[in-house]
This record gives sequence, structure tokens and C-alpha cells, in this order.
Amino acid sequence: MLKTLKDIVRKSSIHVCIVNCGGCNGCDVELVACLSPRYDLEQYGIYVHNNPREADVILVTGAVTEQWRENLRRIYAKAPEPKVVVAVGNCPQSGDVFAQEGGRVLAPVSDFIPVDAAIPGCPPRPSEILDAILAVAPGAIAAKGRIQDK
Amino acid sequence: MTSFINYIYNFARETWLRGFVNSKSKEDIADIPDRFRDFPKVEKEYCIACGSCTASCPSPNAIKLVRDSDNEESQGLTFPIINKSSCIRCGFCAEVCPSEPKTLYCGENHFIQEDFNIIPSKRKYVIDDYLCIKCHKCQDVCEVGAIDLKNNRMVVNQSKCISCGKCLSVCPVKGAMKGVFIANLEEQKEIIQLVVDTLESYIESKQDDLKEIHDDKLFLSEIDFEPLFKDSLNIINDEELVYEVLEKAINRLNIRLVIWDSTLCNKCQLCVGECPTGAISFDNEYDEIVRNKDKCLRCSICYQTCPFSAIKYYSAKFNLDKKDSGEEVIHITVKESQLAKRRA
Repeated sequence: MLKTLKDIVRKSSIHVCIVNCGGCNGCDVELVACLSPRYDLEQYGIYVHNNPREADVILVTGAVTEQWRENLRRIYAKAPEPKVVVAVGNCPQSGDVFAQEGGRVLAPVSDFIPVDAAIPGCPPRPSEILDAILAVAPGAIAAKGRIQDK
Repeated sequence: MTSFINYIYNFARETWLRGFVNSKSKEDIADIPDRFRDFPKVEKEYCIACGSCTASCPSPNAIKLVRDSDNEESQGLTFPIINKSSCIRCGFCAEVCPSEPKTLYCGENHFIQEDFNIIPSKRKYVIDDYLCIKCHKCQDVCEVGAIDLKNNRMVVNQSKCISCGKCLSVCPVKGAMKGVFIANLEEQKEIIQLVVDTLESYIESKQDDLKEIHDDKLFLSEIDFEPLFKDSLNIINDEELVYEVLEKAINRLNIRLVIWDSTLCNKCQLCVGECPTGAISFDNEYDEIVRNKDKCLRCSICYQTCPFSAIKYYSAKFNLDKKDSGEEVIHITVKESQLAKRRA
């Protein structure tokens, strides 16, 4: 009974923390568009807090720069279990246009923290981001929570 | 009155309930507009493996050409594959793809569409943004409103232009407004090449006179325009076009000439190694330096290297002018380069 209640709560209330670890800000702008009345993120029970201590989902944007190498691990450690990391855009996956020869980016993000889902696009459409979060986050959080409870 | 309040209450409760239950967005937020440029789609049968898509891609790792393995019946296809986690959906690959039909397709909005003008005209009117002073005189004189200021540049709208040429006559800056002949560009290049060749061979034939001039003195000469004009008419039979192309080419031409005085040459072979294109070589059999004129860039390095001044470097300018008798001539001005002398 308690478990199912926990599952329902975890599925219907997702707290998000956006981390830009060195990108062009394009993906962040698309994330802000998710908050707009057209996409209205909060109708799905997703709340953007930008505080890793309350986060269930960490949205990583941007190719990892030198300064973010340690900070990214710290932010990941601060988020309470169960947590899900979603890489938004191409930068956290491959470095995108920044991964030029002689460039100073340390992409992909999965070298530093475990990534559960990735959304391709430069930037992805707000609806794509929303789809991905909704497809992955509730199930993953609930599943991880169940494992943790045991 | 009570019934009215009751009605309002019931109405409000119903809509509120309906709104509360169905508050979520419908499918429409996931709708993608038709003009949206999604990841490129690959039709691998059409690919000619030219590699222009990979060359045009701004993102490293986004697109690469791969080849299927061969089987007994046929060779494997070569085709591009898109790495979605690197692709930025710019559509450059689809734009440059030369195969017919296109191998890469990436939204219809991105294909370059040529300006279409229904008026048959030899000329296309364009504005050189570098020279344009934005005086708007052409805009005022244009009767069809084809000239406009766009992004702080004067632009001719080719679909409106009727090729009347009024803008050309009103433009106060020489060369800012251009009436370019768009057809037979290759033939126009041939004419310019002909001009360069005839003028160069003429100056080279006057080598003895050129030796006489010293220091800052100029060598002046004249050549008839008529034979050049007739030769050019053989390439394109259009007097107006040929005259304009010749006039512009001659007045802008600045030919550099490298002339060798073999009597002064001591065969030290210093110039052979210095030549960047390998145009100069030493012929062991005849014991002389050989210069390949077609390879020569006229960079003047050999002239600056030669310790015996066997190589002379000239620059020549030309001007098309009318004599009092109405005959047209090309004035030639040749000046010896002072580069090596100044350095010494």
C-alpha cells in the first residue's frame, strides 16, 4: 500500500534541476519555452527548481568545460536518490560543433555522471524535451525508488 | 433570481469539473510545422559519393560516408549516414547535395530557388554593396519599385526588375550599379583571356625599347583597338556585349611581365630553386635556363633573386581612348618595377 502510494507520488511529481555545463544557451532557451503557456510543463506535475538537493531529474545541457568537470560530479552527488539524468541537446552527447580539433570540451557527459536518457537535436524542440522527460522520468524514478526501498 | 444563480452555479461547476479533468494539453503541442527542418533523410540509392555533404557540415562527427559490403550480385552502395547526436539540423548537406534527385532531404524551405524574371534581358542588374553609397537615387528613379533597402543594403528584386537600365545611368558611383551579362560567361572569360594574351605578346615584342627605359621613366605605346574587337566578335557575335566586356577588361587590366635577357644570364641557377611553382628549370643538354610561361605566377621572386639583373619585371596598364579622328586605340603604359633596386 505504501509502495504504490510512493510510486504514484514519484510518478506524478517530478522536480527538475537544469544544469548548463558550458553550452551556447540554445537548449536552455528551449527549456524555458517548456515553461510557457503553450507547453506548460507544470500540467504534467513537473516543477523546475534549479536546486539539486530537491531534484529528481537533472537536465544537463552543454558540452562539459574544464570548470564543470568537478562541479558536475558535486551536483550529481547532491541530488537525492532516486534520480534520473537526462542529457538535453547534442552537446552533452557528442560535444556537437564544439568538439572541433583542438577544442577544450570534455563531452560526452556520460564520462562524468551516469546518463539515463538523451534527447538529440541542436536544440531539440520543447515538445521533444517534454516527450522525453515524460517517457523516461516517471518510470525510471519509480523503478529506482523501488530498488532503493528494498 | 434563485434559478439564475442556480444556473450559474451548475454551469460553473460543470465547466470547472470538465476543465479540472481535461486540463492537460492535447496532442497539438507535439505538432511540427511543415516548414520545420528535421534531421536530414537519406535516400541512399541516389548517392554519388561526392562527399560534398561531409565537406559542408559544420559539426564534426555529424555526417559520414559509409559503404555497404559487396555481395555477389553488385558492389555495395556508398551513402551518407547522419549521427543524430551531432547533427544541428542546419540543412547544409541537403542544400549542397548535387545528385538528381537529391540524396539528402531536409525540409523544402531550404532549397535555393533562383530568382525568376519573365522579361527577356541580356543583363542582370545587381548592386555592389562594397561600392554603394546608399544615396537611394536608383530607388527613386526605379519605376517598378524593384530596388529596396534590405538589411542596410540596397538590393534589386529580380522578380520585379524590368531591365530598363535607368538605375545604371543615375548611379553616381562608377561600378556600384552593375548591368552584368549573365548568359555566356565562359565566352566572356575567353574574350578577357584574348585581351591579356594579345597585349602581353605586343609588349614582349617591344623588348628592345623596354631595355632603353631606366629608373622611373615610363614606356608609352599605342595599339589599335579594331583587330582585337574583330577577333572578339568571332567568340560572341554581339557588338554591345563585346564592346562593354573589352572596355571594362582593358581599363582595369594590370599586367605584370617577366622578361628575360639571356645575354646577361650567368647560369647560376639561383632562380630555379626559388620559383614557387617550378616554372623555371635548367636544361642540361642545351646549358640554359628554361621558363615555362604557363606555370609562371608573375610573383617576381625570380626577379628579386637574380644577382645579374637578367630578369626584368614590368607592370603595364591600359586605357581605351578615342582619337580625334574617331579611331579607337589602346594606350599602353609600362613601368619597370623598382622593387629590387629599392631594396639594394
